[in-house]
Amino acid sequence: MDIRFENAGVDYGSRTALVPLNLTLQERRIGVIGLNGSGKTTFARLINGLVKPTSGRVVVDGLDTVGDAAEVLGKVGYIFQSPQNQIILPIVRDDIAFGLKARGFDKAQIEAAVEGILGRFGVGHLGARRAHELSGGELQMAALCSVLVTGPDILILDEPTNQLDLKNRALVQRTMATLPENVIVISHDLPLLEDFERVLLFDQGRLVADAPAAEAIARYREMAG
Amino acid sequence: MKTLHVDADTWMHRLSPRLKLLALATLGLLLFLTHSIPVLACANLGGAALYFRSGLPVAEALRRLRPILISITVLAIFAALVGPLHAAIVTALRLTALALFAATVTATTSMAALIDEITALAMPLEKLGLLKAADIGLAVGLVIRFVPEILDRYRAIREAHQARGIKVRLATTLAPLIILTLRDADNIAAAIDARGIRRQ
Repeated sequence: MDIRFENAGVDYGSRTALVPLNLTLQERRIGVIGLNGSGKTTFARLINGLVKPTSGRVVVDGLDTVGDAAEVLGKVGYIFQSPQNQIILPIVRDDIAFGLKARGFDKAQIEAAVEGILGRFGVGHLGARRAHELSGGELQMAALCSVLVTGPDILILDEPTNQLDLKNRALVQRTMATLPENVIVISHDLPLLEDFERVLLFDQGRLVADAPAAEAIARYREMAG
Repeated sequence: MKTLHVDADTWMHRLSPRLKLLALATLGLLLFLTHSIPVLACANLGGAALYFRSGLPVAEALRRLRPILISITVLAIFAALVGPLHAAIVTALRLTALALFAATVTATTSMAALIDEITALAMPLEKLGLLKAADIGLAVGLVIRFVPEILDRYRAIREAHQARGIKVRLATTLAPLIILTLRDADNIAAAIDARGIRRQ
């Protein structure tokens, strides 16, 4: 993974959501922390091109997130804060297949890929379930399958343990630990990020710390009082 | 992401989604060609017979129809006030029959099948360069997907009113309902883009 922020910043009208920054991300596990409204989500959305920089550019493995938007979307998977908004079709299996249909896979390929991804995470029993009947952790697993089935190299998770009970939180943490993909996690759940190689701390749209997890988290605790 | 589809195995579930959609379109046209109250009443009976055999428990079936029936009643009362009574009755019967047939199709067809069929049926328009067939399928699927979500959201807003001892009024529920719906629509649009569903 090679993500480069080249003086990339975002303004929404007169409000600066992210102050232009220069940064290279190559680690396999990167955490993003900061207070609400500090620019974490804008930062993460720049990486998969959901947000376009208003200054500078973001390059992911040599691809410009604006000029090569479609390729970048294929390379960077994104799991949103509310997985229920990410799941479009009501049956888990149908929803996982949906992203593949859009990419022109044939029926046999889709079936194999869906079975493969459900099997990879040991959640084959969720395939026929209705998404609205799933627990929070199961919903996260379904969202994870629907994103990873398309084979992204990089996965961004926005508050993956938000509103989960301890059991489901542990499930998500265990799953994250086994992912071979490069993972970027935005979270207020600091213990989740404790063994990450690098953690970025944002405050009011600025990157204020870029350090190993322990150091960045300590700074955040200090900042938050 | 609740669904209006009923997980059952009736003969209507087994019918081809394409046949059901074409039958619905044809019935829709025919209902608007007649002004006969007996014919429209029979269509209502037929629609009700199909709908109540779609595998839904009667109470749930009635609950689902309630919002549309209220809307049709309001419309019919308005039509009766400004025009002939016959026209109001015809409008009410026509729309009710259409709602029953449409509810039967959505209850007996999975959303994935519905999107696939609508996409296939819109393909000739794509070949003419008029639109993207997949977008039409996705749009229709999302509308159907949103219906239960909007109702859930309305219930949550109503409960929030009640919890605060505020009388539930259209004026105070409509604005938060629209804002919440639009916000979720933005999130879902972002998710669709992030998953590359509209890339083809």
